[in-house]
Amino acid sequence: MSLYELLGLVFTFNVMTFGNGPVMIPLLQESLVEQRGVLSQDQLLYAFTIARVTPGQANVYVASIGYMLFGLPGAILTTAVILLPGYLMLPALRLYRRFSAAGAVRGFTRGLTSASVGLIFAAVVNIARTSLDSWIPWMVFLVTLALAQLLKLNPIISLAVAVALGLGLRFLAGL
Amino acid sequence: VERTRGEEAAPAPPALGSDDRGRLGLFELFVVFVKAGLAFGGGLGILAVLEDELVKKRRTLSPEEFLAVYGIGRVIPSGTMTALTIAYGSRFAGLLGTVVALTGMVLPAFVLTVLLTAGYGYLREGALFEVLPITILPAALAFILVAALRLGKHVFRPGFDLILAAAAFVGSYAVGLNTALLLVAGGLAGLLFFRGDRRA
Repeated sequence: MSLYELLGLVFTFNVMTFGNGPVMIPLLQESLVEQRGVLSQDQLLYAFTIARVTPGQANVYVASIGYMLFGLPGAILTTAVILLPGYLMLPALRLYRRFSAAGAVRGFTRGLTSASVGLIFAAVVNIARTSLDSWIPWMVFLVTLALAQLLKLNPIISLAVAVALGLGLRFLAGL
Repeated sequence: VERTRGEEAAPAPPALGSDDRGRLGLFELFVVFVKAGLAFGGGLGILAVLEDELVKKRRTLSPEEFLAVYGIGRVIPSGTMTALTIAYGSRFAGLLGTVVALTGMVLPAFVLTVLLTAGYGYLREGALFEVLPITILPAALAFILVAALRLGKHVFRPGFDLILAAAAFVGSYAVGLNTALLLVAGGLAGLLFFRGDRRA
């Protein structure tokens, strides 16, 4: 498989899934592991595990696949092709701006922003269901929430407390 | 009280994607997006940092504008955060700004991904993979919730906004409807309901 072919696949899958990293996994599995056999099952899983432990966007793990197959240039170029479609945002915003003076668009925007708030909460609950899977993450979540929301503590301090608490609770649970 | 910025531009809606650059130089833009790229919790973690940096701390964007750009970003087929990064990069520093913001945004994830891939084998059984789910990840979720509560402040009072938000929540979470569909439906409902409402 050539680098161009990999870039074409990654570009297509990323657009098809609207940049949703986890949803891309079965597509990569089928094309790279099953059909072409250029990547082992373990390698793909490892790449995806990296996505879960690194910060930032959840689709940057394609850089790991690029690196495994074509080294650093592969990593850089696979990352570039997942970012490229984002430039569609500029004409979308221009279009929006052109019509935004009209009263109808203002109502549309207000409806859109209210719906956005609902969608953000739906996503939060979805993440909570999978990541808060035992009492320790629940405790860390609730304590961090209290520190950040009620005591308005600095995020870095809250994060430090959260890490210490999680490690402490795991240590205690293991006793 | 918080509407002072909006009043200057009244009666126009928020200057979405306007060429009103200023307040953020290239370096500051880069720093903001590196911070965002360091956030855990995926797209929402990034959103929480951007809200904190651009809306709350620097006040360069109103919450309404921030949410509107988010809504538009969700229908761009690149991932919402990529779209937002390009929108704000362009808004604050033009085309060069998009490159700077994108670079800052992906840099932390990219560097870590390449390092961890190069270390494949050493790290497979690493303690990192065990410890993150009980420390940083639940904390990230708490930060996301805090930002979401702040962003939704104008929605959480009795009224049609709240009904729309609740409907979108149920449609997405319980029914599993398509996001773009829900956003367009929310927009259309707003268009009908807020017709003639000067505050809309």
